[in-house]
Amino acid sequence: MAVDQPLAADNSFEEHDDIDEAALAAVLRIVPLGAAMLAGSAVALAVLGYLAIYLFVFLPRGVVG
Amino acid sequence: MSEGLQQTHERRVLGTELLWAFGVGVLVTATLSLIVFTALTRGINPPSNVERVDPKTLHLSGEFAEQNLGTVVAADGIVTARIIATQFMFAPHCIALPQGQPVTLRFASPDVIHGILITGTNVNTMVVPGYVAQVHTEFTRGGELLMPCHEYCGLGHSEMWANVQVLSAGEFKPDRDGRLTCAQR
Repeated sequence: MAVDQPLAADNSFEEHDDIDEAALAAVLRIVPLGAAMLAGSAVALAVLGYLAIYLFVFLPRGVVG
Repeated sequence: MSEGLQQTHERRVLGTELLWAFGVGVLVTATLSLIVFTALTRGINPPSNVERVDPKTLHLSGEFAEQNLGTVVAADGIVTARIIATQFMFAPHCIALPQGQPVTLRFASPDVIHGILITGTNVNTMVVPGYVAQVHTEFTRGGELLMPCHEYCGLGHSEMWANVQVLSAGEFKPDRDGRLTCAQR
């Protein structure tokens, strides 16, 4: 039965990792915020475009049903 | 990465994903609410009439016989236009309709699938043989509008179009039978 254990290579990678933990923590705090801002801006623009067309083009064209 | 830092990072990722999912949920709910609100308050809905008609005898008798085509105003004031969409023309080729008044457009096809839209309006429907396509609308602006076939129906598809004349109350004057054609203007 296979046992889910870390590979030796992973361990060696962890051991030889010379990245500064504090610097990594600082980067991980900032990067997701930038990604969220970018994705949020893109979605906000798409929603605003949809609303603008719906309110200023679709509705003034009159009822249909 | 240390165990503690890894857990903190995963918590942040989970928090961001949940926040994003909440935001998307709000947007979807707001969009659907807007559509439902306008549907209920302004009567804007996709045309959804299901009504059978025999395409083989369309031109011989009944609602879509030649003498019944075009615009007619009933005794109760309801305006209805009956149009046949066929390869590669509309009959009649010009339809006179009133501005600022509810109208009903009824289409039928004896041959293949067609589609119509009226430029500058929300009128847009398929015309499927065997069914009556019906659209209720109210024109907010007057003038001459183009009504092309928007569903490829054969080699002459690009030549298949009609005119819709949207007339003001002063210009929209049906004859004593309640009928009105573009030529009567």
